[in-house]
Amino acid sequence: MKQGRENAIVFSDPERCLGCHGCELACAVAHGGEDLFAAAAAGRTLRARNHVVAVDTVMLPVQCRQCEDAPCALACPTGSIVQEGGIVSIREKNCVGCKVCVMVCPFGAISVKGANTASSESLTNRGTAQKCDLCVGTGRETPACIDGCPTKAIRLIDLEEFRQGLREAHAAELVRSHAYLNRRK
Amino acid sequence: MTTEMKTTDPAAAALLPVAKREGIETVWDRHKAMQPQCGFGQLGVCCRICWKGPCRIDPFDDGPKRGICGADAHTIVARNVIRMIAAGAAGHSEHGRHIALALLEVAEGKLPAYQIRDEAKLIAVAGKLGIATEAREILEIAHDIATVSLNDFRNQDTATPCAWTKATLTEKRMEKLAALGVLPHNIDAVITQIMGRTLVGCDAEPANLILGGIKGALADYDGMSLATDLSDILFGTPAPVVTAANLGVLKEEAVNIAVHGHNPLLSEVVCDVALQMNEAAKQAGAKEGINIVGVCCTGNEVMVRHGIPLAANYLSQEMVLVTGAVDAMVVDVQCIMPAVSEIAGCYHTELITTMDENKISGARHVSFREATATEDARQIITLAIDAFRRRDAKRVTIPDVQQTAIVGFSTEAIVAALSLLDAEQPLKPLLDNVVNGNIRGIALFAGCNSTRTPQDNSFVTMAKALAKNNVLLLATGCGAGAFAKHGMMTQEATLAYAGDGLKAVLTAVGEAAGLNGPLPLVLHMGSCVDNSRAVSVAVAVANALGVDLDALPLVASAPEAMSEKAVAIGSWSVALGIPTHLGTMPQVLGSSTVTELLTETAKDLFGGYFLVETDPEEAAQKLLAVIDEKRRGLGI
Repeated sequence: MKQGRENAIVFSDPERCLGCHGCELACAVAHGGEDLFAAAAAGRTLRARNHVVAVDTVMLPVQCRQCEDAPCALACPTGSIVQEGGIVSIREKNCVGCKVCVMVCPFGAISVKGANTASSESLTNRGTAQKCDLCVGTGRETPACIDGCPTKAIRLIDLEEFRQGLREAHAAELVRSHAYLNRRK
Repeated sequence: MTTEMKTTDPAAAALLPVAKREGIETVWDRHKAMQPQCGFGQLGVCCRICWKGPCRIDPFDDGPKRGICGADAHTIVARNVIRMIAAGAAGHSEHGRHIALALLEVAEGKLPAYQIRDEAKLIAVAGKLGIATEAREILEIAHDIATVSLNDFRNQDTATPCAWTKATLTEKRMEKLAALGVLPHNIDAVITQIMGRTLVGCDAEPANLILGGIKGALADYDGMSLATDLSDILFGTPAPVVTAANLGVLKEEAVNIAVHGHNPLLSEVVCDVALQMNEAAKQAGAKEGINIVGVCCTGNEVMVRHGIPLAANYLSQEMVLVTGAVDAMVVDVQCIMPAVSEIAGCYHTELITTMDENKISGARHVSFREATATEDARQIITLAIDAFRRRDAKRVTIPDVQQTAIVGFSTEAIVAALSLLDAEQPLKPLLDNVVNGNIRGIALFAGCNSTRTPQDNSFVTMAKALAKNNVLLLATGCGAGAFAKHGMMTQEATLAYAGDGLKAVLTAVGEAAGLNGPLPLVLHMGSCVDNSRAVSVAVAVANALGVDLDALPLVASAPEAMSEKAVAIGSWSVALGIPTHLGTMPQVLGSSTVTELLTETAKDLFGGYFLVETDPEEAAQKLLAVIDEKRRGLGI
């Protein structure tokens, strides 16, 4: 990611979301390292890093917004959360699973769930903070949730392009207004 | 598999650019537009059987583990899959009922368009069903056969199994199925029972549900057994005939009529009447008269009985229309893509639906009744000839692609060919060669095409690998269509692909039958309903060896399965003791319990089981291993 640009975000369009949870399944599979059938056949525990939420009459998936001044990074007592490569990155090996990041995240985007298989005598359940990483490290070109959405409700937004698009659209409106005003004179 | 690879059929591939140029959407375009497909659905964990839902279970143990009513993934997957079996059984059995009712009316002298064409088969069927034949009129016997067959839809005594199932399986198999409580007593009742037990708040135990499904699958077997044999009585038992397959069978100078669907009651009469109306077609300017071609299993029915050429199997049915050379496509039931209506509308083609319970928007409907079959067929062919006059020659593109196909290997035809080697014991040459290893095993290829697999590729790839290892190959349905189109039903294919042992056997039988060479590499047994023919061969072999079906070095494969009918066929194949390969991932993996029941527990219960492998090369190797295991079991 170039210096001076905002982190890209996953943008969800509530007008298009049908609440099918396909994005969650795609996310879970992408981070599991196997295909859908192999993971299901092996009975893996896989966790989605996005969550479809219904509020009033609309639905949309919610995930990490890759904040520029991220509360989770500021609050993390072990310094495990950093700005890195255009995302807010969690260094899982340094994470102790204390959940401070969960408390301060305004979007409820972080989970610290441990393994279901931990026995009662275990000293650790290996729970570490996990959230959307834009599929960095999964070998995918676009985040899995985007490819997994049947209605194309999810997009990856480069803020620079997004803003430029807004500017151009509004500029075009202004140009038309000026032309109209000029004709009226 | 690359997602771009759509078909290995050269004729279909040749027309894809034409479809694109004309702005015609094909099944492959729609497959692409449909991506991504729902993961919950693919795993079978989506439940839509009540309006509290839809509910879907998280397959990865992080979300909901039960639906709103409390049904878990195992219950949901089991209910979904057995409802598919019920639908498949309903389709085949409606077909069977239709034929049985027609036979009854023929026996009562009510249907002038139909006759008993195969009296020898009628006598043999009567013998099988325990109906007296001595000193009785043919029509009287036919009436009894129809009545006994229809009783398989009527019987209310749950202790009395369906007559056709009882008459066509080994004694040991009947005992095994009876002990498991899965023998159907009444086709309709068993299908209804599946719908009833899968209603919200009913059967929730996965194993019990799956056994209920197996009973439904055996009802499917019963329905297709009677459909096959009663069709033979009415229309003749297939015998070897040389014909051709693929789009090159369409003729520029003929009125081309494509018969598509499944039931021979319609297509047989269309063929008969076409002969009478050939002059009318010539007068309309078609120098070569009327050219009937087949699509899907209607195509297989008329191909194996009369040598009518086959234009396409399931996945390239749209391409038949994209040639611009089809004047009418006449359809009845099953596997007719609704998309053919829109494509026919892009050309002069008349799409004609014929069954009152199977209509398609945009098609012309000619209500087909057996009592008025000849008049109905005449109306259909008149529409085709009228359409021919409107054909735009500039839009005709017939790929110059066709293959010779030697087809028509009914059980009777196979036994007749073998009896040329040993008239006393016709099965002996087959058994001897299985025992001495010239024939390592037998594989039945069945089932559909699917957009999940490049069209026909898995059939052809697996057949080559198995033939090389001396496996005798039988085929039905769209699998048979694939082999016919790819030149695998020729003597040349036997010489090119068969292992030495298999080649020697096929050559000995072929020479004895006066073919001046071997039998074709793959034996075409008929439509998907005709899978019962393969069972009758297997039962004869098992009885000759004094073993049950699950002891035989026999496997089945549906490498490109798609339809609910394939789910039903695959399930009875397993119940009859036949290890059955699926090349399409079945929608059950969301339940470890159901997956285990179908792939492992079934082996203990029935001897047959599902084997899933999407890679055709790997699948062939796995089937060879199964065949070898069975051979070891027999001590050969």
